Amino acid sequence: MENTRELFIEMPNGERQTHIIIDHGNEQFTSMPKATYDEQQAHLTESVTKAK
Amino acid sequence: MTANAGYHAYATGDVLTAAQVQYNLQNQTVMYFASSAARTTALSGVLVEGMVSYIPANGLEYYNGSAWVVVAADQTPLTTKGDLFTYSTTDARLAIGTNGQTLVANSGATTGNAWQDPVQQNPVLNSAFQVWQRGTSISVAASSTGYTADRWYTATNANQACTISRQATGDTTNLPNIQYCMRFQRNSGQTGTGQLTIAQSFESVNAIPFAGKTVILSFYARAGANYSPTSSALLPIIYTGTGTDQNALSGYTGNVTNYTSVTLTTTWQRFTYSITVPITATEIAPAFGMNPTGTAGTNDYYEVTGVQLEVGSVATPFHTFSATIQGELSAAQRYYMRLSSAGASANYGLGYAYSTTSVANQLRNPVTMRITPTTLDYSNIELTIVGVSNYAITGLAIDAGTSGPDYVTLLATGASGLTANRPYSLKNTAATGFIGLSAEL
Repeated sequence: MENTRELFIEMPNGERQTHIIIDHGNEQFTSMPKATYDEQQAHLTESVTKAK
Repeated sequence: MTANAGYHAYATGDVLTAAQVQYNLQNQTVMYFASSAARTTALSGVLVEGMVSYIPANGLEYYNGSAWVVVAADQTPLTTKGDLFTYSTTDARLAIGTNGQTLVANSGATTGNAWQDPVQQNPVLNSAFQVWQRGTSISVAASSTGYTADRWYTATNANQACTISRQATGDTTNLPNIQYCMRFQRNSGQTGTGQLTIAQSFESVNAIPFAGKTVILSFYARAGANYSPTSSALLPIIYTGTGTDQNALSGYTGNVTNYTSVTLTTTWQRFTYSITVPITATEIAPAFGMNPTGTAGTNDYYEVTGVQLEVGSVATPFHTFSATIQGELSAAQRYYMRLSSAGASANYGLGYAYSTTSVANQLRNPVTMRITPTTLDYSNIELTIVGVSNYAITGLAIDAGTSGPDYVTLLATGASGLTANRPYSLKNTAATGFIGLSAEL
């Protein structure tokens, strides 16, 4: 079962980054910038049957 | 008139008769005449089958018993420089190809031969499914997407949990010694019947050379014992698009879906599918589609390997992109690379704590990636001062701002007890630990 959470990272220069951590439930994780994650989610619904 | 007498062996001292001169010699020489009219006049009443004449305007002719037939001109269908004299059911002409093309046997062509562009590199990476950095058995949940074998991306629909795995082909008779294949399996008991697709999206720089060309996709495939699609059909697909570096299954701009259907059996077969790529195409992706029916049985799968895309209408013998496993791995690492070790103490590199909870580690990539990777997958990773203490983390991410295609900065966060500005390493907590960098399309 996958769970996602936001990870806030404060950089040495004070900049704050927001990443998404996906917990795949098997001790494996995927992280990516929140903007990248949001874009992937938008495309997910498009990734369907095309040739039929 | 008496027929010509053919060959006669003369003996020493023989005296030639008029008949011998007429029928063994004169009638079987090449007679010269200034015109057809002159020949008609000269041979009036003495014409016999087998006479041969030469007339400047006609060339060489023979008399077949009823008419004079030109000898040379009707013996060749060639008309143009470079034409080849070949055969179908009669003598036939194969027109010259274009510069640089080579002649290949083609049983589907009228003459059994065809001109084709020279054999090229196969741009399909991991075409023989040798590289599985993410693991040799990948579970893909229903209604999800993900990369499986390196460079191969799939999309599932509702109630279609699938497993994509590496398998041995186990066949040296129907395959040209290809060790591995990909098995695409709808898991037993799954009921979803939407199309399951797996594709390899080329970068535009690798797709543009195919624009406007006739291309042929070739592959080997077979079905599992419970392969459920109607008529055991598998759809070879070639997507084309007009965007730049997009993922076909996420949607090409200007998408054109070209596909056909082939019938699988449980024995390996080679299939081909040819299309003409639109001249405006800047993206291309070979793919396979499976339309399952009913509830999946234990072996509702197909296997595929030896995937090749090339310019031309004839599939040449299969070869991988790079010919070596190292070449295939390096090519795949342009898009994804997984750093791992069998050891629980694998150390990935040294960094420094910039706070009491966070460490920045820079890794040098073994190959230049397509773009700066932004997506990271990892498992069983912690920080350490080797031999002193280990520190659990709650998150690991790429700092895109200080990373590039050749190196990445990883930010490990959530640790406790760190000392700012002290060096720390990233290491495995178990032998199954890994760090994966993705620059995929």
